[in-house]
Formats: sequence, structure tokens, C-alpha cells
Amino acid sequence: MGETKSEVFGNYSILGKAIPRVDAKAKVTGQAKYAADFEEANMLWGQIKRSPYAHARILNIDTSKAEKLPGVKAVTTGKDFGGFKWGWSGPTRDEEPLAVEKVRYQYEGVAGVAAVDEEIAQEACDLIEVDYEPLPGVFDPFEAMAEGAPLVHEGRPGNICVEYHWNFGDVEKAFAESYLVREDTFQTPRQAKGYLEPPAVVAYWPDPDRIVYIGAKGSPYFPYRILARCFNLPLSNVRIITPIIGSDFGGTKNDMTPADFSAVMLAKKAGRPVKIVTSQFDTLTTDLRRHPMWITVKTGVTKDGILKATSLKAVADGGAYTRMSPLTMFLVGTCMTLPYKLPNFKYDAYNYFTNNPSSAAMRGHGLYHSRFAADVQLDMIAEELGLDPVEIRLKNSIPNPKSGKIYKTVNDVHVATCGVQECIEKVAEAVNWKARKKKVEGYRAYGLGFAAATYNSGTKLSAHNACAAIIRVCEDGSVNYLTGATDVGQGSDTIMCAIVAEVLGIKLEDIDLKRVDSAFTPVDPGSYGSRVTVHAGEAATKAAQDAKNQLLEVAAEQFGVKPDDVDIKDKKVFVKSNPERNMAWERLVRIACYETPGKVIIGRGYSTQGISMYGLADFSKGVGDIGTNYSFTAQASEVEVDVETGVIKCTDNNVIAHDCGFPLNVQAVETQVQGGSYHQGISAAVYEEFKMDSGQTLNPNLVDYTRPRAYEAPMTQVIHVITNDPYGPFGAKEASEGSCCSAPPSIISAIHDATGVWINDLPAQPEKVFWALKKKREKGQK
Amino acid sequence: MLAAFEYFAPKTVEEALSLLSKYKDKAKMIAGGQSMLVVMKQRLLTPEYLIDIKGLTALDYIKYDEKQGLRIGALTIHRAIEKSPDIQKHFGVLSEMEGNLATIQTRNWGTIGGNLCHSDPAGDPATVFIVLKARFKLASSGKERIIEAEDFSTDYLEADLKPNEMLIEIQVPNPPPHTGTAYEKLMVMKGDMGVVGAAVSITLDSKGGCQDARIALSNAASIPLRAKKAEKVLIGKTINDGLLTEAGEVAATEADPPNDVHGSAEYRREMVKVFVKRVARLALEKTKAAR
Amino acid sequence: MKGEMKELKFTVNGKPYELKVKPETLLVDLLRQELKLTGTKVGCLDSACGACTVNIDGKAVRSCSVLALQANGHEVTTIEGVADGDELHPIQQAMIDHGAIECGFCTPGMVMSARALLAESPDPTREEVKEAIQGNLCADAGYVKYIEAIEIAAKEIRGGK
Repeated sequence: MGETKSEVFGNYSILGKAIPRVDAKAKVTGQAKYAADFEEANMLWGQIKRSPYAHARILNIDTSKAEKLPGVKAVTTGKDFGGFKWGWSGPTRDEEPLAVEKVRYQYEGVAGVAAVDEEIAQEACDLIEVDYEPLPGVFDPFEAMAEGAPLVHEGRPGNICVEYHWNFGDVEKAFAESYLVREDTFQTPRQAKGYLEPPAVVAYWPDPDRIVYIGAKGSPYFPYRILARCFNLPLSNVRIITPIIGSDFGGTKNDMTPADFSAVMLAKKAGRPVKIVTSQFDTLTTDLRRHPMWITVKTGVTKDGILKATSLKAVADGGAYTRMSPLTMFLVGTCMTLPYKLPNFKYDAYNYFTNNPSSAAMRGHGLYHSRFAADVQLDMIAEELGLDPVEIRLKNSIPNPKSGKIYKTVNDVHVATCGVQECIEKVAEAVNWKARKKKVEGYRAYGLGFAAATYNSGTKLSAHNACAAIIRVCEDGSVNYLTGATDVGQGSDTIMCAIVAEVLGIKLEDIDLKRVDSAFTPVDPGSYGSRVTVHAGEAATKAAQDAKNQLLEVAAEQFGVKPDDVDIKDKKVFVKSNPERNMAWERLVRIACYETPGKVIIGRGYSTQGISMYGLADFSKGVGDIGTNYSFTAQASEVEVDVETGVIKCTDNNVIAHDCGFPLNVQAVETQVQGGSYHQGISAAVYEEFKMDSGQTLNPNLVDYTRPRAYEAPMTQVIHVITNDPYGPFGAKEASEGSCCSAPPSIISAIHDATGVWINDLPAQPEKVFWALKKKREKGQK
Repeated sequence: MLAAFEYFAPKTVEEALSLLSKYKDKAKMIAGGQSMLVVMKQRLLTPEYLIDIKGLTALDYIKYDEKQGLRIGALTIHRAIEKSPDIQKHFGVLSEMEGNLATIQTRNWGTIGGNLCHSDPAGDPATVFIVLKARFKLASSGKERIIEAEDFSTDYLEADLKPNEMLIEIQVPNPPPHTGTAYEKLMVMKGDMGVVGAAVSITLDSKGGCQDARIALSNAASIPLRAKKAEKVLIGKTINDGLLTEAGEVAATEADPPNDVHGSAEYRREMVKVFVKRVARLALEKTKAAR
Repeated sequence: MKGEMKELKFTVNGKPYELKVKPETLLVDLLRQELKLTGTKVGCLDSACGACTVNIDGKAVRSCSVLALQANGHEVTTIEGVADGDELHPIQQAMIDHGAIECGFCTPGMVMSARALLAESPDPTREEVKEAIQGNLCADAGYVKYIEAIEIAAKEIRGGK
């Protein structure tokens, strides 16, 4: 009980160990400032008026009463934005800051007010009169695709938002040659991102043509570009300041909301700063959520359980706007050819518009759906063939390519390191898989499930990969690190500082990270797709090396040797061939900055690794790498099933082995993996689901929407598997989106192990499990 | 953010009652506010007058007497009931029930009186008090009356509490010898409101037959429901597994459970069967320990 | 009269305050907006997330579900009052050292719940630790390292036993 000491990997001064986070002290003392903690002098409070209808034409908006209310300083509606539309990429710009012609999901923003206090802002909102013409809507993909269904977007027939058809090898032939072919359908629920901090924004115009925006954004350079375009300003006039962020998980805090646009517009109109703090209710009704998906997998195997072919069909509810659905549907398909060898693969994807709040990225983006379906089906296949679930996985797993070699999938995914076999072996050993026994205690049945997964790391997308770092060495030896990379809680700030300190040969405490402020920090795509460690890490490494090289030149001159004969370690600058000749770091920096005649030591670096290798992925054909490298995970989960009520509990017998290449911050990897498994993975498997009725969220609060808590948390053990990927900084790959993908199938398989019942349609909430068990009992009695 | 109201913080019970007499149903009384502030924040409740009785320490007490039994002041916090040595020793079921009531933060501020007056059919305390044959003392200016716990809730979120009345004390008689009482509810997370719950109290006679039984259900109707027909299945008989199953099934027919995101009415009925049986078994086990 | 300010006399982090407060003010809003103690967070509207947890007379309470005026005569401690000047409380240090803190939004509430627990139960069982933070939602860390950190802190406070 109590302590678990993290291991040490590699031979580094700082990396490969448990590195306390650079922002931990500020967070644990309450000093850390999140968006809602910011205040500006003369500030107004803003509020958004939202549509009660899921689908309706806006006939008229009358803001006159609101404008007359004493204390109201500005009102805005969609018309103020002059027809501006935005979206994730050029072709997908279908969303307005505030709805103008019609609303497409319940609580879509239609107006905003700014007033001297929250109470008046709320009152003013209530005084805005909107005339709606309610329209019939579509609320799931099946309604959306029906003949004659109402259209969410005019000009998008059939409500089709994204459609892909990929074909590799010859799936039909392979099925014909298979010993066993199975087709199974699975369903993943509408899941909340789950971040605890509701989004907030403070915006103001210091000059008539400059914006300052302080907001919780995981990808601050999105609002940077979008606001510049929206308000017709040069990028250099848009200043995005990033506070500490209370998590994101890839969704709303990665994207724009009505509050973001409104705060800026209201600040412009009122001539005063405007703060809008949204509520958890707004989050649970409008913020982006994971796509609900219906996944049909058809797989053919040999008698020995070797995979021959898979045909995957995914039907998704994309919600009201396109957002990132093109990427989502690509991700669902792309890694079907990992972590197991798959020679024939076919994919048909359909993402529909519906009158629900938009679906978008969420930790485990895309792969979570298909890896869940594929891995559970693999267990079904194992059962049918009488094979062991661990054995069948080992048989099919891609072996770790030898150094310098690449494994290429049929859809041109390139893998340089793949530790999945080691992950599987280590987890099986940790849970004593071979010796497992059935356990039943009264009405409690126990089961152990196994799964393996992969996740793309260092995601690269077209036209959106620029990732740079600047290092400024101050004259006293302290170092500024300027980055556009955003720490949303995953610990990237710490990793970047650690990398810089490691490369420079100084201490972590010497690095002062300058949080994203687009006035000063270089551009970066942001926190999504597990790209920060890989890409920003590469940029940080290069920038640090660049600064170091400049200093080594000065040192070389001082020592009278060549620059490659000098190094820095533990803040000591020394001649490699004669270490007794050395000087303190601070001394070297002082010499460089003040003497001869006084250099400015600035290191620059940008990431090229991901972009330059193998080109970019082609979404419509399904070929190419979305990731720079790929992480691998194996997990065993034990559950306790109350067979009389259907309630599922996790036991502490929960083990994950994660191949993240090299764990730069060992502790952070563990926390991330434990968290991804429980909050996004297990929770999706057994706890969470938005219940909807014709576009209305029925459980938009934290009592009726079950979030996972401490008492039920398994004390998951994390095993590190090292593969030292050549394309990640210091060998690193992503940490923990893999556990979001391995957890759900391991839980569903565990439930099956305990009860003999397959729950294909998540979440396995008690009532669902109860009826499934009852049905099985009745079937058995016949 | 709450809507504005006129606020009073009476220092004595008499003062509180006189305010209630004055403002009647224009006023709402707030104790710990753990249920009330949620609905006030959502603007579902916007009283004009708010009478804050949280500071009425005179109603914060737990008294145990070998003859009189237990008397709990209405403003006693849940956590005090949970941790009271007297209650743990003599009315263990109350302490166990409190241990699963919401979370510690709520129990540190919310009061037993506030919980009972909120009259939520999913309420754990009311359900347990029914099987403990508790009585509630209600007061208004110059008057007091006693009401049986099972008669207090009248409908969903409604209680037999006149606009000028307040709950001041809960009285729990000492259980007869050979009595065991238990309460369990269906939770996904510890501290959840139960999807359903069952409280069962069984008193055995000297020969081991069931002398008396009380069964009450939470979240299985619009009020915490006493399942009288189910009780009759057990009373006067020697309890065996078959009878427990029957009691559960009968209780399920008496229930009229809600349909919501946590469970359908049909599922809840099935769970009534499960929980009545399970909890009755636990109560039986406890009779062995009772003097 | 509706909205008439009422007197509030209490201490926050050991400092006495005498304020005039609108009765509809919630304690969390008073702390954050009037006293500028923004370490206590607002995460929900349902008294469910625990990000607003403070200690009132040493007990863990949700400050979003307490009228500011109800704090009259009580001692309130917020996250800002936990460390002793520059010296962190063992709970805080353990959470840092053990890598429990991720986005940090739940952290102040976790600290306050843990602080109240250890004041009452210096040698808690694992079950008691879990129960103490059951009312504190986290979305990142999976709770494991928070639970372990609290146990480490408890041991430290007990003098390593």
C-alpha cells in the first residue's frame, strides 16, 4: 500500500525518470490561473442566447428590450459577422459564429450580450426575443439517410458529411478461402469529452485593430487564424494568450464556440473587455462529443486463427456540422491494419449530419471505435475456434521490426517500432494468464479480459504541421523556452523543458517555459493527435541543439579546441578529451553574451520528421501515414459482475503494458495511461452515455451522466515497454491514447469471460447487462 | 447564480416558526441546502423569502436512551449520524445508510431534516426510518404534532408539511429483541442515488419465526414506499429462501417505479425483487447478532 | 428587502473578514470574485464535481452548495491557505512528487478533501482514502496516483510509520 516507485530508463540526466511537472506547484497551491480566473479592469460579463429547438429556421431576432436594459453594454447576433463561416479546413467551412438563417442543434448560439454583471447579462439574454419556425429533424444516421429525410444542410444531399471507400488486396477472395468468416456489429456511445473545466474566455481590443483573446484552447493557433479571418485582421494583430488549461481531450477546447466569437465581437462593440464563462450544462449540451458509431466488422481467418481479411463498415453520427469528421472517419479505418498483420482490408465509411450537437475528436480519436470492434471480434473468433485469446493475438501481432527496417501495411502505414508482442507477453505474465481460474462468489462472477491496441502518434495533417520552438539563453544562464505547444494537462510543458535541459546539459529548474502567447511564441498545430511529444519535442530538441552549438563555438574558442571537442553536462562546460579543462555554464553564457562582442544566443528549431517522411495520408484512398510513429498497448482487465443486477465493477487486477518508444517522463506516462484507460476507456465501456431524445440531451448533468469516480477506479499497474523509435525525440512515441483503445475491449471480453454474454453495444450499463443475462438464461433453459 | 431573495437567519426555533407563519408558502426554509441549492442554481426554485435555519444549533443533537430510543434533531448533519457511536452501536443500519449517502462533502453540510423534507422517493433516510418505525415531530407556532415516518411523504417531492410547519425531531424507538435491519440500494458509483433500494427490518420470535417484518422501497414509487403486502408474506412464518423470493416478487407488484435514464420501470421492478430478497437476508443475519 | 446586503463575519485562511454580502451569493463566488481566491474552482451546477471543495471548520464541504452567509462564524480554509508560507503541506508535496497532478483543475478540491481526511484519520485505510475523494471528480489521472499520494502523505505526517 502507498508507494510505487517509478523505474528509471536510459542513461540520461533528466529524461527517462519520474520528472515532477513544472506547473505542479502552481496547481497544487491554487496559484495556477485558468481562463475563468482571469479578470480585466472595466470588464463586462457575457452570456449566450441559445436555441431551444434542435432544428429551426430563425425568422427574426429582436434584441431591443435587451439593449434597453440598464447595465447592458453590447448585444450581438449572427448578422454582425457578415456571412463569415469557419470549419476545420477550407472545404468544411459550414459553421457560423452565431446562427443566422437556421439552427441545427439544440442550444446552438443565436445571440450574445455583455453587461456589467452576470445577473444583468442573464436577464438581458432572457429579454432577447427570437421567432423560430421549428423544422423536422433527423436524430441518428438512420433517420438521416432515409429517403426524403429533412436536410440538415441545404446542398448536402442525403445528409452525407463524409464518405470513404477503401479497398486493399482482395477481401472477397480471402473470405472465400477462410476457414471461418464472422460478421459482428458493435456500437459505441455518444460520450462527453469529460473535462472538468468548462470553457471560458476573456477578450478585449487594446486598439481598434488588435485583439487579445485569453481562453482555454488546446490548439491556440486555431482561434489565432480563425479570428484573424473573421475580423479581417493580419495574424500579427491577433494575440492569443493561453492560461493553464483544465483538460481538453481533443474537442471543444480545440475548436471555436459561440462564446469565443461573441466575446470578441461584444468586446469590440462595447469597447470593454468581455468575459464569458460557460457552464458544465453548456458543456454537456453543446460541447463536442465523441461520435456515436455503428461498426460492422466482417473477418475471415484460417483454422489456426490467422487473420486473412477484414471488411469494416462504419456509420457515424457526425452531428450538426462537419468539424473534424473527415479526420475521424479516416482514423477509424487507417489503423485496422495494426497491431495485427492484415493482408486484405476493405473499408466503407459513412458519417452523417444530424440535428445533434457536433461530434468531433476525443482522446482515442477514431481508432477507439474500430479497435474495440476488431479486438472483441478477435475474442469471439478465438472462442469459436477454441483458441486462447492471448495466443491468437501473439500469432497475429506484428513483430518489432529490426533496427533500420520498416513494417509497411497494405494501406501504406509505416511502422519502425512495434512492441505489441512484448506488451502482450508482459501483461499475460503479470496477470498469470495461463493459470487463471473461473471465480464465482454468490451472485458475483469474475472474469478476465485481454486486448491489444495501437494509436497513431505525432499526427500530421496537410497544411497544418508547422511546429517551431525558440530558445533564448539569458545572460545569467537562465533559459527561456518559447513554444506554441500547449499543455492541456498531459504534461507536455514538462517534457519540453526536460528535453531542452537534457540537450543543453543543464537542470530542469533552469528552463522557464513561456506559455503560448501568439505575440511571442512560434506557431504550432496544438494538442491533438498525440503529436506534441513527437513534433514539439523534435522542435525543442533542435532549438536546444542550435542554441547549444552557438555556445559550444564560443567555448571552443575559449578553450582553444574544435567545437566537437566540447560538451556540457550537469551545468559544466568541458573539453571532452581533457575534462579537467572546464568552466561553469553561467560563465560560458556570460562570456558569450557580454564579450566578444556579445552574441544573442537564440536557438531555433522546427519539426520536420513527421512531414518529410512518407508524405501525408490520403483520406479518400485510405493510404499513407497519419502518424509519425505508432504506440502499442496490451491490457488485461478483471471485472466483477453482479449477475442479479448487471452492475459491473473493475477489480484492482488491471494491467497495461504500453510501448511509447521511450518514456521521457516515466511518471507522466503512468498517470496518462492509467487515466486514459479509466476515464476514456473503461468509462465508455461501462458507465457513460448521453441519452438523447429528438436532439434533446436527457442527462446533461453530472448526476444523470455517470462519470467515473475514485472508489470504483482500478489501481491499474503500468508496465513500460521500450522500443526506441527512430522518429521520436529520444525514441519517444505517444503515451496513453492507446490505453483508451485497449480498455473497452478488455472490459467487454472480461464481462464475457464472467458471464458468457457479449455486450457489443456500449456502454454495458446495468440494465443492459441484466437483460442480456436474462435472455441467456432463458435461452439456456429452452 | 441564484435569483435574489429576502433573507432571514432566525436564531431560535420560535423565530423560525414565526417567520413561517408570516410568509407561509412564499417562503422556503433552507438548512444544509445540498438538495435545495442545486434546484435554486438551475432557477427551478426561486423563493421570494428564504429562511436559513442552518444556524439553529438547538436542533443539532443525537440523544440515545435505553428506554426512549433515539432522538435526532432535524439539523443534525448526515456525517454526525454516520459517525455517532450510539447510532453505530444501537442503530447500525442508519450509520451504514449514511455511509452511502452522496459523498462526504455533502454529508458534512447537509442535514437529516433537510433531506427528509425534500421528500425525494429515492431518499435513503426516509426509507430506513419507515422500517425502523420512526416518527417525526413537526412544529408550528404554538403547536406540535407527531407523524409516522411512513405517512410523511405524500407525493414526489411533497410532504405532509404545512407551509407554517417545520420538522424538528426524528424519533426512533428501540427495536425489539431479535431484530435485524438492513438497507441496500443499487448504485453504479458509491454514493449514487439508488436506482432502487430496499430497507428491511425483521423481528424473530423466541422460536425463530418471523414475528414482524417491515419492508420499504426507495425510488420505486412517487414516495418511499412501504411494501405492506410483501411484509405479510413473511410475518408469522419461518422464513426460508422461497418466502424471501416471494416477498420480493410481491413487493415488485406494489411498486410503481419511475422510468428514467438510470433505468426503466421494468428493470426497477426486477431490482425490487433482487434487493428485497438480498436485504431481507442481511436483516435476518443481523437478527442473530441482536440481543 | 430583496437583495439587501447582510453582514458576514468569518475567517478565511486564518484572516478575519467582516463583509456585507448579497444573500444570494454562494460561498464559492464570494471566495473567487470578492476575495480573489481563485484557487477554488467551479466545475458544475449539480453539486457533483467537488472542484469547489473547501474546508469549513476543518471539514470538507462543497463551497458551491453553501450560501456565503451560512459561513458566518465559521473558519473557512481554501487551497491558498493549505501551505505554510513557502512550505508545502505533505499532501501537496506528495501529489507533486508522485506525479498525480495533470491538468490540475480537480487538484485544489482533492487537496482539501485529503486534508480533512488526514486531520480526522491520520492512518486511513485505502477504502477511506477512496471514500474521501469520491466526491472529487477527476477526468485525467485515473485517481490511482492521487490515492497513492494521499497514503504517502499520511505516512509522512505520521512520522514515516
